[in-house]
Amino acid sequence: MQALLTISAGIDRLNQAVGRAVYWLVLLAVVISSGNAMVRYTLNMSSNAWLEVQWYLFSAIFLLCSGYTLLRNEHIRIDIIAGRFSRRTQVWLDVVGIVLFLMPMAVMILWLSWPMFKLSFATGEMSSNAGGLVRWPAKVLVPAGFLLLTLQGLSELIKRIAFLAGAIDDFGPQGGGHAPRETKPIAKAEGL
Amino acid sequence: MVEFLIANMAPIMFGALVFFLLFGYPVAFALAANGIVFGLIGIELGLLTPALFQALPERIFGIMANDTLLAVPFFTFMGLILERSGMAEDLLDTIGQLFGPLRGGLAYAVIFVGALLAATTGVVAASVISMGLISLPIMLRYGYDPRIATGAIAASGTLAQIIPPSLVLIVMADQLGRSVGDMYEGALIPGLVLTSLYAGYIFLVSIVRPSAVPALPPEARTLRGLKLLYRVAFSLVPPLVLIFLVLGTIFLGIATPTEGGAMGAAGALLLAIVNRRLDLSLLKQAMDSTAKLSSFVMFILVGSTVFGLVFRGVNGDLWVEHLLTGLPGGVIGFLIVVNLMVFFLAFFLDFFELAFIIVPLLGPVAEKLGIDLIWFGVLLGVNMQTSFMHPPFGFALFYLRSVAPGADYIDKFTGKRIAKITTGQIYWGAVPFVLIQVIMVGLVIAFPQMVTGSLHESTIDPADIKIELPPMPYTPGGTDPFGAPPPIGAPGGSSGAFAPPPPVFK
Repeated sequence: MQALLTISAGIDRLNQAVGRAVYWLVLLAVVISSGNAMVRYTLNMSSNAWLEVQWYLFSAIFLLCSGYTLLRNEHIRIDIIAGRFSRRTQVWLDVVGIVLFLMPMAVMILWLSWPMFKLSFATGEMSSNAGGLVRWPAKVLVPAGFLLLTLQGLSELIKRIAFLAGAIDDFGPQGGGHAPRETKPIAKAEGL
Repeated sequence: MVEFLIANMAPIMFGALVFFLLFGYPVAFALAANGIVFGLIGIELGLLTPALFQALPERIFGIMANDTLLAVPFFTFMGLILERSGMAEDLLDTIGQLFGPLRGGLAYAVIFVGALLAATTGVVAASVISMGLISLPIMLRYGYDPRIATGAIAASGTLAQIIPPSLVLIVMADQLGRSVGDMYEGALIPGLVLTSLYAGYIFLVSIVRPSAVPALPPEARTLRGLKLLYRVAFSLVPPLVLIFLVLGTIFLGIATPTEGGAMGAAGALLLAIVNRRLDLSLLKQAMDSTAKLSSFVMFILVGSTVFGLVFRGVNGDLWVEHLLTGLPGGVIGFLIVVNLMVFFLAFFLDFFELAFIIVPLLGPVAEKLGIDLIWFGVLLGVNMQTSFMHPPFGFALFYLRSVAPGADYIDKFTGKRIAKITTGQIYWGAVPFVLIQVIMVGLVIAFPQMVTGSLHESTIDPADIKIELPPMPYTPGGTDPFGAPPPIGAPGGSSGAFAPPPPVFK
């Protein structure tokens, strides 16, 4: 169990680091997109490459941060019923969810999207827009994002099993969903 | 058994989705897993070809390249910066001081700030929580009736749903295949009407029960004369100008919503720098929240894409269409059923789930029935907003509960003992606002011009606006609700003033 928990802690650190690095892209995207807009009004110019950078960045943000978001337990859930269960039951439900929902989905998309990247990389696929960007850096984001998500799923699974087995007392943020801000309200059902 | 499965694949799939969602695992993954499980069953039964899943990576790539949704992180970031840097709080405080001498002044401030900060949220939670934290203690301190105070906060928190530049409208436009600019324009007047209805209610209370909404006592009005003017100039005007610039350029078609959002985000950053409110931890917090919000929103979309791919594969879209077009009463029946359905679903689904799961199923049917999709989107928006503040399930009420005082406390300024807020007070406080919402849903249905008017100004013939036209505004003169839809660009929904009766919720 201890070895597994070490792996889990390693994955948590990895996704934490990725999340904290990737969120700087938000600022970069703001700067580039507002720059694009200014250039378009003032100089009446626009470049497809710079326009495409916008959605490359956005894709990088949401795909690469998916594992980090899972680590922070901020993927929205509907806790109207589940929120009434005991902590242990909720953790059990999470284990089932990870095994039946998250892992098969993430692994499958990871597995399906790899060839899309490989093909794009091998053929040196370019954007269909004039002056657009080379495509593989965008396409590699899909398998990369789902890999991080799969890893984080594994880590969450380990933590929950360890909790159920009594090996650890607690782990990460709970409840979750519906409050993507720092001011976390208590879970919906606990509120009343 | 197998035949039964094959024949009823779509309903079973939908039922399983509801079950999976209630099970409490993150929506994005439950959706995707549901799609995959049923996809595999479908392939096993020969309903689907194994090649189906091969389309998935390209679908996900399509989501990445979607221009409309790019605006989501920008508006979120702009809102976070405005809020976290304390500019939103200043705004509330300044408007509170401005309206202070007036009865109900604080409540007006809450409503207007709620409307102005619409940009900040796609998720009801955030605005209700921040307004609740900032203004509830002040309102209680100066003797507001807790019911009025909580009602105003919960209601204004949900205003963010419907007033441009809301994220909700961006997503709605994307899912309905309409332009965001049109959606904003369509929602503007209903949003303003709604805001005035709220303010009107407070005004009414201030006449009927003045003690429930007292004016600020003179000692609490710390700012007067020049000092107040200074505050207005420096904390009220700049964010307002920013919001209006962003909205204005989008409305006028000068900027795309993505550009507007990016400029708005840059503007908010500049304002925070000028006000010396920006520091590294604030910036990091805002980027962190924006990244996580983008991720969970987009993953719901990814999940619903997987679900949708399979659901369409087993002809789920046709099933929904048959179900909805076969309703008695044609278009009116459709609108009533859809509105009731969305209303009840919104008790346990937040906006993004609804928009990505339900709206794509409803949109095509509505279009086939000749319903103007902008109008439809705005109607659904107002409807969901109603649901979010409807006791006992409304999200806004839960979030308000979580930040409202649960025990008596001593106010630190006046030293007075302030009674806790009971859940019953929050519920009763919401009731008048829910009634206003129901009226608003009725108004949107009865006067579609409110939405479509600004979009199709040139095509409205005043002669057309008569009460005695057939009850289906989009098929002028026609009696067959399934007849050919009007040509694109026709004044869908704007030619007839009369309309189906508002659905009665209760």
